[in-house]
Amino acid sequence: MSQPESNQTPSMAFYTVVWALLIVIVGVEVLLTFRHFPSRELLAYLLILAFVEAGIGVMYFMHLKYERSILFWSVIPVLLFVFFMMDHIWPDALRIEHLRVVHW
Amino acid sequence: MSESEMTVGIGHGPSMEASPFAIPSKKLAMWLFIMADAATFAAILFAYGFLREASPNWSTPFAFSPTILNGMIMTVVLLTSSLTALGGVQAAKAGNKSSCMRWLGATILLGIVFAVLHLREWFKMFDEGWRLFQNPTGGSAQFGAAFFSITGLHLLHVISGVVAIIIVALGYNRGRLDAGHVETTALYWHFVDLVWMFVFPLLYLMNAH
Repeated sequence: MSQPESNQTPSMAFYTVVWALLIVIVGVEVLLTFRHFPSRELLAYLLILAFVEAGIGVMYFMHLKYERSILFWSVIPVLLFVFFMMDHIWPDALRIEHLRVVHW
Repeated sequence: MSESEMTVGIGHGPSMEASPFAIPSKKLAMWLFIMADAATFAAILFAYGFLREASPNWSTPFAFSPTILNGMIMTVVLLTSSLTALGGVQAAKAGNKSSCMRWLGATILLGIVFAVLHLREWFKMFDEGWRLFQNPTGGSAQFGAAFFSITGLHLLHVISGVVAIIIVALGYNRGRLDAGHVETTALYWHFVDLVWMFVFPLLYLMNAH
């Protein structure tokens, strides 16, 4: 017999704290942007913070933390795998920059 | 016969297998849609990264004021709308219709504010000469294609989300829809917010002066 959907629901006060935390992270992202890091370094920082925000949003706002773990394991790993596979395009992007233009 | 009773085979008629996820089918369907949509946005963001890497003259035209500041305000608006959507879901689950309507009304209003701010920014960029394949700064012409297509796809999701919340709010108020519908729609809305958590840093902050 399957258990009913989880009835655990944090309070609005808790959600407000999570909301405030997300806004702080956005502020940190903006501050880092104007610290003049090299663009690849900035990209790494922003992606890490974006994934942290996404993780907080998925687990708390989208309630995945309070659902059965099988839902988490069915949704998240396959998405991460898709992102990982998409992450293999960069050598082509760098190669294109150095392709010679042939004028006919 | 309730949905949960059907899934555990209580009552007359053929019994059905229990759902391993223990959530209503509409909620599971929304999660599956979110997975597909997340892959779509990931692909378009990777394509943007690909274009950017392959372009030696990529522009970084966004100043802190007004563009980044406007983006920050849009981010706060969208995050707040997620919070109000959560309030709507909690009120719906508690059976408090009037409170749910107020929360969902706030969510709809904030969604409209986001869309208006976004369109205002677009029109300002059009005035400056930006088009899908036109860059007034002389840099890569694909900047416009990347920026307008990604933000346009997100804006389309925002607008359709606002419409969906209006429909569900009206349906819930009239007793035709239940708290599960409110929760499922809110799930979509949180996803739209989540996508913006990637769009804002990658498209705005990475292209800041």
